[in-house]
Amino acid sequence: MGGGFKERLRNIELTTHVVLGLALLILLVFIAYPLSKVILNSFLEAGDVLSLENLTLANFSQFYTSTLYKSALLHTLMVGFLCVLFSCLLGIPMAYFVAKTEVPFKVVFLTLGTLPLILPPFVGAYSWVLLFGRQGVINYFLDRLFGMSLPDIYGAPGVIIAMTMSYYPFVFLLTYGALLSADPHIEESAEIMGASRWRVIRTVTLPLVISSIVAGALIVFMRAVGNFGVPAILGGNFYVLPTLIYFQVTGFFNLHAAGAIAMVNVAMVGMAILLSQYVTAKRSRATITGTTQAARISTSKILKWVGTVFCAGVIFFSLLPHLTVIVTSFTEGWAGTRYPTKFSLENYRRIFEIARTPIRNSLFLATTATLVAAVVGTLLSYINVRKRFRGRWILDLTVMLPFILPGIVVGVAILTGFSSGLIILSGTWMIMVIGFFIRRMPYIYRSTMASLSQIDVAVEDASTIAGAPWLTTFRKVTLPLMAPGILAGAVIAFSTLMGELSTTIILYSAKWKTITVAIVEYLFSANIGPAYALGTILIFLVLGAIFLANRILGRRMSQMFRMV
Amino acid sequence: MAGQIQGSSPVALSIRNLKKVFRGKGERVTALDNVSIDVQEGELFTLLGPSGCGKTTTLRCVAGFEKPTGGKIDFLGRDFTTIPSFRRNIGMVFQSYALFPHLSVFENVAYGLKVRKDPRREIEQKVDGILQLVGLDTTKKRKPSELSGGQQQRIALARALVYDPQLLLLDEPLSNLDAKLRVYMRGEIRRIQQRAKVTTLFVTHDQEEALSISDRIAVMHAGKVSQIGTPDEIYEDPHSIRVADFIGQANFFECTVKKQERGLMVLTFPSGERISLNSTSAMLSDFPHPNGVLFSRPEQIKVTPEPGRPNTLNGKVKSILYLGSVVRYFIEVFGHTIPREVLVDEDRRIKGVREGDEVGLVLDEDDVRLFPPDQKEQLQKESS
Repeated sequence: MGGGFKERLRNIELTTHVVLGLALLILLVFIAYPLSKVILNSFLEAGDVLSLENLTLANFSQFYTSTLYKSALLHTLMVGFLCVLFSCLLGIPMAYFVAKTEVPFKVVFLTLGTLPLILPPFVGAYSWVLLFGRQGVINYFLDRLFGMSLPDIYGAPGVIIAMTMSYYPFVFLLTYGALLSADPHIEESAEIMGASRWRVIRTVTLPLVISSIVAGALIVFMRAVGNFGVPAILGGNFYVLPTLIYFQVTGFFNLHAAGAIAMVNVAMVGMAILLSQYVTAKRSRATITGTTQAARISTSKILKWVGTVFCAGVIFFSLLPHLTVIVTSFTEGWAGTRYPTKFSLENYRRIFEIARTPIRNSLFLATTATLVAAVVGTLLSYINVRKRFRGRWILDLTVMLPFILPGIVVGVAILTGFSSGLIILSGTWMIMVIGFFIRRMPYIYRSTMASLSQIDVAVEDASTIAGAPWLTTFRKVTLPLMAPGILAGAVIAFSTLMGELSTTIILYSAKWKTITVAIVEYLFSANIGPAYALGTILIFLVLGAIFLANRILGRRMSQMFRMV
Repeated sequence: MAGQIQGSSPVALSIRNLKKVFRGKGERVTALDNVSIDVQEGELFTLLGPSGCGKTTTLRCVAGFEKPTGGKIDFLGRDFTTIPSFRRNIGMVFQSYALFPHLSVFENVAYGLKVRKDPRREIEQKVDGILQLVGLDTTKKRKPSELSGGQQQRIALARALVYDPQLLLLDEPLSNLDAKLRVYMRGEIRRIQQRAKVTTLFVTHDQEEALSISDRIAVMHAGKVSQIGTPDEIYEDPHSIRVADFIGQANFFECTVKKQERGLMVLTFPSGERISLNSTSAMLSDFPHPNGVLFSRPEQIKVTPEPGRPNTLNGKVKSILYLGSVVRYFIEVFGHTIPREVLVDEDRRIKGVREGDEVGLVLDEDDVRLFPPDQKEQLQKESS
């Protein structure tokens, strides 16, 4: 009987259990706990303790009684659906042109078509006002030349345009990927049977990629109904649920009411997920094969030119707000005048006087959260892939939830979880790191899972049998082989955290303002110059991180976002 | 019993009543059913069987990658099942080689030594030594992906042997090589194993490989050990139709058995033909059943150009296959009842025998075996 208690203790791999157990504990404390608490709280009135008879629907009653609530609910749905519609109208043709026609500059289109995903939408949002607003450049010229003017950009039109131009890449990239990987033989056989090109597209190609289109549309919907920044800047009196939540939290600090609105917001996302599954389940999608055959390309000259103009147009229009941000940041006083009058670095000088702290804060918070997310996300994906156990889907769901939920809901949940009770962190940087970390961990979790499933288990076994304990094997074999996946996930996490607003706006405190909060504050106080200088810094920080990662990984940006 | 412990070497690895049950979705699959094996010190012992027979599961239990449901694994008096894999001091070569793709050849081989915290100087010496032994001392700085399959295989072997493990496990190490290299490498493995004098458990589904390389073989089927023995014993004296059928080529003939005095036996075949055997073998003379299945290897039958002689089976040559070292005759016997094809291997072509000719078959009395008839039925039931 193997040599006594001491040796037996030595033979249990304690580190494995401690390390992996810790990762699961973090999952429980920082995701499961706050989310359950916010759900429970939404059914309790503020001040009541948790008990069965205290459960109530009072927090939800305003959806009956208040016109503000009712209209916000309708607005949110409308924004969601219209963004999906317009994203499909832009994204699907663009995917078709880039994948299936002889459009030039495909790499450029793909790269620039991915950019809006990384650039925070609210940063560019105000540019729409500068361009198309009542006092904007376009209106000015339209008025001068034709004596006509555009409808007011504030409210629904602005919100929907700004979001669509930020989110259409989800539909574009996913559809493009599906078009590339769909077996070209299927289309060829339809053509041989005598179907016209349009008929082939309608009856063969489209059904082959429909599940990818739906997946893209779903992400657009989830982002649109959860976005806080764009409606906050462009909404005016046009309220949506995220802005309503914000006022409940900052105006009344009523986390119970905010929680109830959040639940409605979440229900919307949930319904969209069910709907998308219903749509894709009805159609077979088993036909997307990993064939080595290249996608068949249409040689039509007309399609080529129409496609080029269309793609270039969409990309120009979608990047216009951010270009405006950059150009404006180098001018003095566009806001107020018709167009930029004097170029200078004045805005940047002011920024370095007043906004050094937000820049430092953003860098610190995003870096810390990314590091934590990299460690925990890597461990959790390791648990999921390597430790086969029942109920792994619970682990999967818990990790992915903060990715699915609107950012502002995650913010409310974290604030609910850690502003009272056992752990009180409100007002500290830690609560922000927690919110950042759980929101962006899914990126790292997913990308490390992908690279981990590429690693032959036997390679790890070989290390074990050579005499390496679990931690040594993990450090010397598993981790180096996972490194590209970790880096890819971490870069996306970091760069999107730099532009994070929805969660931040709920969790930040005066001392821990971030770049994004500062930008919103400047915009609200009509300090366009400094806001845009800060926005430009943000844009280049994000682009720099992505560029660096591409250099190290040798991958294109559009490929890195394939998994999103 | 033949094939059990022989010679003077003590037992190194003792597997007793090993059981392994896998639980799937509401399903229980018995992968190992009371497997007992003794491997002697320094021996090259092979687990041979078709895929799914439990040979790899046995190996993985010995390595510690699978936890046995029951039974014991002792190695040199230590209870292996309580020791984690990384402390068992085992060397292992994987089917996919499982070389560390991010490490150089040198770092791959040195891995086990570094984990053992050997001094640097010593590591370099040992790695050089083992690379010389496997005949690859010029590729130290390269990455595994830059090497050929045969070279990767040698690196895997070197990595497994460099820290002088007490036990070497080889999991189908040759299956990814092409035919010629496979034959060469199995000789190399044998040579290196003999030089290192390491107790070795070898897993393969290739019977030719098993016969050529092993000291002893355990033939496995459906989670059980069918027979343990030296390659000669397994090939020449299979204890069941299953083993006879799995190893090499085999001819089976149903017949009735009638014993006469002084070991003389008369076998009557479905066609009415009969032959009498004068056998000294205990297996024949002790045969208790009235019916049986006669077993004979292709090279244990002789073709004669004249049919109809006493004590021969008559048949017709269907085809002749020239295989280089042997000439294989496909001969149909029992033509007017239940036709059956018999394989006969001759060293060279028999003069005057062509396709379509009537020939006689002479069975070697000393080599034939009789099996109980129910074994054949069982085998047919499984394969259909």
